[in-house]
Formats: sequence, structure tokens, C-alpha cells
Amino acid sequence: MAMLLRLDEAIAELVGDGDVVALEGFTHLIPVAAGHEIIRARRRDLTLCRMTPDIVYDQLIGAGCARKLVFSWGGNPGVGSLHRFRDAVQHDWPVPLEIEEHSHAGMANRYVAGASGLPFAVLRGYLGTDLPAQTPNIKTIECPFTGERLAAVPALNPDVGIVHAQRADRAGNVQLWGITGVQKETVLASARSLVTVEEIVDELEPVPGAIVLPGWAVTAVAHVPGGSHPSYAQGYSERDNTAYQQWDPIGRDRERFTEWLRASVFEEAGA
Amino acid sequence: MTAAKTTVSRAEICVGACAELFRGDGEILVSPMSTVALIGARLAKLTFEPDLLLTDGEAGLLAEVPVLGEQSEPAREGWLPFRRVFELLAHGRRHVVMGANQVDQYGNQNISAIGEHSRPDRQLLGVRGSPGNTVNHRTSYWVPKHSPRSFVEAVDVVAGVGYDRATGSAGRFHDVYRVVSNLGVFDFDGPQHRMRLVSAHPGVELEEITEATGFPLHIGEFHTTPEPGQEALELIRTRLDPKNLRDREVRA
Repeated sequence: MAMLLRLDEAIAELVGDGDVVALEGFTHLIPVAAGHEIIRARRRDLTLCRMTPDIVYDQLIGAGCARKLVFSWGGNPGVGSLHRFRDAVQHDWPVPLEIEEHSHAGMANRYVAGASGLPFAVLRGYLGTDLPAQTPNIKTIECPFTGERLAAVPALNPDVGIVHAQRADRAGNVQLWGITGVQKETVLASARSLVTVEEIVDELEPVPGAIVLPGWAVTAVAHVPGGSHPSYAQGYSERDNTAYQQWDPIGRDRERFTEWLRASVFEEAGA
Repeated sequence: MTAAKTTVSRAEICVGACAELFRGDGEILVSPMSTVALIGARLAKLTFEPDLLLTDGEAGLLAEVPVLGEQSEPAREGWLPFRRVFELLAHGRRHVVMGANQVDQYGNQNISAIGEHSRPDRQLLGVRGSPGNTVNHRTSYWVPKHSPRSFVEAVDVVAGVGYDRATGSAGRFHDVYRVVSNLGVFDFDGPQHRMRLVSAHPGVELEEITEATGFPLHIGEFHTTPEPGQEALELIRTRLDPKNLRDREVRA
């Protein structure tokens, strides 16, 4: 049964310096509030994993929380580049950022292998590209049945997997619906997991297309309404497109970003 | 009639050329990644390829073609979430039109980084689906700024696989079809699958293309890219892109 914790307690308890952390979400249900709490907790040297890192990863990287990013696409969706991410990779600001780049399918399959308790995943892809030369985490294997050469990628088993969902019950069973990405696999693959939710309810009414993460597979649940803003939670909120556009000039400039961190993350905590 | 023709913009020619990429594709998923390619795919669906499956950019398959740049709730006819896309693309029933910060004469594509991968001069958005797309199903590229910086001798990081590297398993389903740029249309039917000029857009001189290309382009017989017909122009201008977002991607 998952623990019901406050967000700050959950991050303090679950995320340590140097951990491999995945905050997953796809288009909606992006666990932004949890990312901000990691910044407030001043965690360092994290290896951040995500298929499609967007502005919350830009913020974590700009705040100096990460030493490595494992990803397949990093951008501000519908707007452009992540400038804190670029600054870190190109100029080591505020700290150097190592990158491990995969394809979308490679990342998804790594999570699936991790969730399945298998050591690696196999796929057709990567062969012929320059990526295998950049990381020991892409190898070629021979199919034992046909002899075809294929790519293998190791299971991704984060220390901590963090996702946002619509709701949970008091036993920590979690329900999410709409466009789900690899949240289920992330939670199942991770040693510890945190789910922030819009609402805690007595009973999870069935919703078409919803998935349920059972409480025994989740370490902690935190009640964080609006915790995916500026992305959205289907059935609860709309995407704040303006916020994504407004991020661009903030992210472009180290001073504006530093001021944003102070005003919007550290002071927001109401310390 | 002649007067009407001279008003066809370069962007509209590129939309028509992108639409032509899908001719004969039938009932497959098409994934155009930027404005002009998107209008092209929608134009193809409304005219000669009605069975193309287009998504709303999220997880819905569109039953009708929406107006670009307008908030609307177009009817959806299917549900294709992220994970299903992997199953579908591994099966091959997809044609993607991706962008390319760099493309070379064999069709290798780079959207990862300019310079050294580990310490790039310019970190780009990342390889996204390229390493899987290019070895599993038909892939084309749309490059709105044709220059020696985008059409290069060798790309800095191979994200999408070109013909010289498409060997063994990577070659089984490899099908890099065409490149459309703001100057012309290209395929890989030159010697050893090198890039070949298929057509130059109206008003573009051959010299302009060769000077903007950072490698020797194969020039055999080529033609002038056809302008979209009257019905197609009408659709582009009034139905698909009334706000003229296409001109933001391609300057006249």
C-alpha cells in the first residue's frame, strides 16, 4: 500500500543526490510540481531520464540538479529549443551535462524491459546511425533464430520514477487516463515511485481507457492539484499554451532564469 | 489564367510538392512534422489520397481535416496513442516527413547536434524517431531552407539512416523516398543511391540549386515542379491554411 505524503516529504524521502530519476509524462500529466520540489530540495548530480524532456527538465537542468540526461527529444513543444539544456551541454552552465541520446522507441523499450524484469530490449533501429558509437548502452545482437542483426538496449530501472495522474484512492491505487505515455512502465521499472494526483477519492470509478497502478506498485502518492501545470490533466485542466511561449525568453537568458527560479520556485514555497 | 498562375507562392508550390510525396500511399499513417508538410498531407487527403490516416498531433486519428491555426474539435475516427505508433511503424504502414538540420547526398539526416556529439557547438532537439523510422518504413524530408549548411557533404551526427549505411538489418525495410526543399524536389535514384534532382521549383535556376548544395548533386533529366491546380490552390488558401502560416516557413 502506497504512503500518502506531502510533496515536500515525498521528495525528501525518495529522491537523493546522485539518483537516476525519471519524471515521465506525454503531452499531458507532466509532473511539473514534483520537478520544482526537487529544485527546492537542491538535489544534485541527478541522472534525469525522459523520452521527451520539456520545460520542467530545462528548469531542473538550469537549476543545476542534473549531471546527465537520457532522452530522445528535448524541446519546448510547439515553441522551440530548451535554452537551459543547450547552455548546459554547450557551455557547462551552471554545471556540465552529459547526454545519452536514444530514439523514442529505444527509450520506450528500455522502460518496458525494466518493468518486465528483463535485462534488455531488442528492436530494429539504431543500426546505421551514429548513436551506438556515443554510448555503451546501444549494442548489436544477432537473432538466435534468423541470424538478423538487431539493436539491444539495456533495461532502464530508475532509482525513482515520478508521474502525475488524475486521482488515487486512500490505499494509494492510482488511476490515469487520456494520452498515457510510458508512465505505467516507468513506475513498474523504478525502485521507488511517486505519483502526484489531482484528487484523492474514496473509490476509483471506472473511466473508459483508464489504467490503474495498484497501490502495491507505488511507493508514495502526494495530493498536488494542478501539479502538471502548464501541461494539463485530462478531465481536470486545460493546457496553458501561453506559459510555454512565455518560457522561451526566460529560458534564453541566465539572469532572467535565475530571477525566475528565485521568484517562482524558491519563494513560491512560502518558506 | 496566366495572371492567376503568377500569384502562386513558393510556399504553395512546396505544399503541392509535399502532397505529391504521399501519392499512392493509400491507407497508411502519415506523419508530417512541420507546417508545409502538414498542409501537403492534408491536401493529399482531400484530393487524391482520401485514405491517408492523419493524427491530431496527439492520439486521435482525424475523420475530417481541420483548419490550420484554429482552435477546433475535429471529429476523430480512431485512437492511436504513443505506444501503438511503435507497433504500427514497425509493421511499416507509415510514411513520415521529418525535418533535417542536415541531410547528405545519401540521405543521412541529422537532427541531433552540430559538431561533436558529446560537446556540440549547437545542441539540436534530438534524434526522436529517426533511428527507427528510417529502417522500418518510408521516410521523406522537408527542408525549408536549402543551403550548403543544410545540404552537406557529410552530416555531423547520423540520426536518420541514408543509403550508404542501410545495409543488413538496417536495409531490410529502408526507404528514404524524397527530399522537398524550398528550391526543388530530390530523390536518391542517382548512381549508388546518391541524391538526384527530380524537379526545380518554378522560377528557380539550376545554378541556384547546385550552389546551395554542399555536395555534387546528380543532375540528369529533370522537370519543373508543377504548380498546384486551381482546385488545390483553392483548398490551400481557403480551407486548409486561410491564415497563410505556410509563408512563415517559406519566404517567397
